[in-house]
Amino acid sequence: MARVDVQLPSLITSVHDGPLRFALEAGSVAEAFETLRSEHPRLALHLFDEHGALRIHVLCFHNDRNTRWLDDPVNTPLADGDELLFMQAVTGG
Amino acid sequence: MNVTLIIGTAKGGFVCRADASRQSWQVDGPLFKGWKVTSATRNAQGHWLVATASDVYGCAIQKSTDLKTWKQVENGPAYEKESGHKLTQVWKLATRADGVIFAGVSEAGLFRSDDHGDTWKPVNGLNQHATRAAWMPGAGGLCAHSILFDKNNPERIWVGISAVGVFRSDDDGTTWKPRNQGIPIILEDKQHPDIGFCVHALAQDPDDPNRIYRQDHLGMFRSRDGAESWERNETGLASRFGFPIVMDENTRAVYAVPLESDEYRLPVDGKLRVFRSADEGDSWSALTAGLPQQHAYAGVLRGAMAVDNLSPAGVYFGTTSGDVYVSNNGGDSWNALPVRLPRVGYVGAFTE
Repeated sequence: MARVDVQLPSLITSVHDGPLRFALEAGSVAEAFETLRSEHPRLALHLFDEHGALRIHVLCFHNDRNTRWLDDPVNTPLADGDELLFMQAVTGG
Repeated sequence: MNVTLIIGTAKGGFVCRADASRQSWQVDGPLFKGWKVTSATRNAQGHWLVATASDVYGCAIQKSTDLKTWKQVENGPAYEKESGHKLTQVWKLATRADGVIFAGVSEAGLFRSDDHGDTWKPVNGLNQHATRAAWMPGAGGLCAHSILFDKNNPERIWVGISAVGVFRSDDDGTTWKPRNQGIPIILEDKQHPDIGFCVHALAQDPDDPNRIYRQDHLGMFRSRDGAESWERNETGLASRFGFPIVMDENTRAVYAVPLESDEYRLPVDGKLRVFRSADEGDSWSALTAGLPQQHAYAGVLRGAMAVDNLSPAGVYFGTTSGDVYVSNNGGDSWNALPVRLPRVGYVGAFTE
């Protein structure tokens, strides 16, 4: 189990009454997502759709890697101090 | 008696307050800065519910006792995974006299809360209707945007869906039937000829819930029999096309804002005109005092008009260019609030 640093976009402040940066304990990227869904359901509503997938215009970076590009999020381990950075995908003008 | 307006825009909500004279308005906001505010209601406890949405971060319902501090509803409307549908926006929140709250949403469907908005469940009689696979979206998406109740028959509900039509349930939402006879079809489905109607908005007579007014994509209509049949009532309108329609409970005046055709969707001749019918839709006349009568090309969206039901009626609307107009005399004259907001999609008027 690793202690990772979760960072959220500022637009979430309107709906998330917690901090925009907080620590979370999880062993893998997939487990971190599950912990967000179970422990922060109001926040998770805005990051994941009702079927559990990352919303189409939400990006999550594990350190410098886009989690969409991970071959196996379930077995992608996290280390103490890792970052999970959520941000809005910028498309179009 | 005080009036509270909730103005929902593409980038936040604004709260406008006035006393019964409705001459001076205090404007506060934005609520939920950066988020679309799409509808609002008050539950039977007097608490506020506001729907928010983001193209990126999805939609939710927020609750408040004072319009200042908010708590997001944790178990809000959500489609079951096996439905294959996704929730994109709450288009309409409506509280029934018995306290049950309904939410009309896109992708089109209906949800209900029996505990003042804390938890929600799908109304699957409509959401899984036999015609569901043939439902097609209008320009605003596939959305359930209008909800009416019957004060004389609590089991009866009407819902308007674009571009599917009006459905009515007579058993508190268990079963639903399309009710569009007399309306020209806009998207014909060979298998389901009873859908494919583009209702834009509905208004209802408070004394006779079966008398319903309908701004449709293809004209202005009225039903005298609970939506069993519809007839045109367009005499005097600048155009058949438009979005909002509202009714004042006291005078039973009906208000609409016609736009030039579905192709252009602009105020006719560059004149921002509200049309009022004082004779149950038989005829309409333009209300222009205080409204720009040249170079006005911002429209009014389906949810962006409201009446406060005081006497004389306060009538309110917001435009796609962010202007908000208020009338404290039933529409005889109008004033613009000193604001220039983002695109207005919702206006709600509440008295207390």
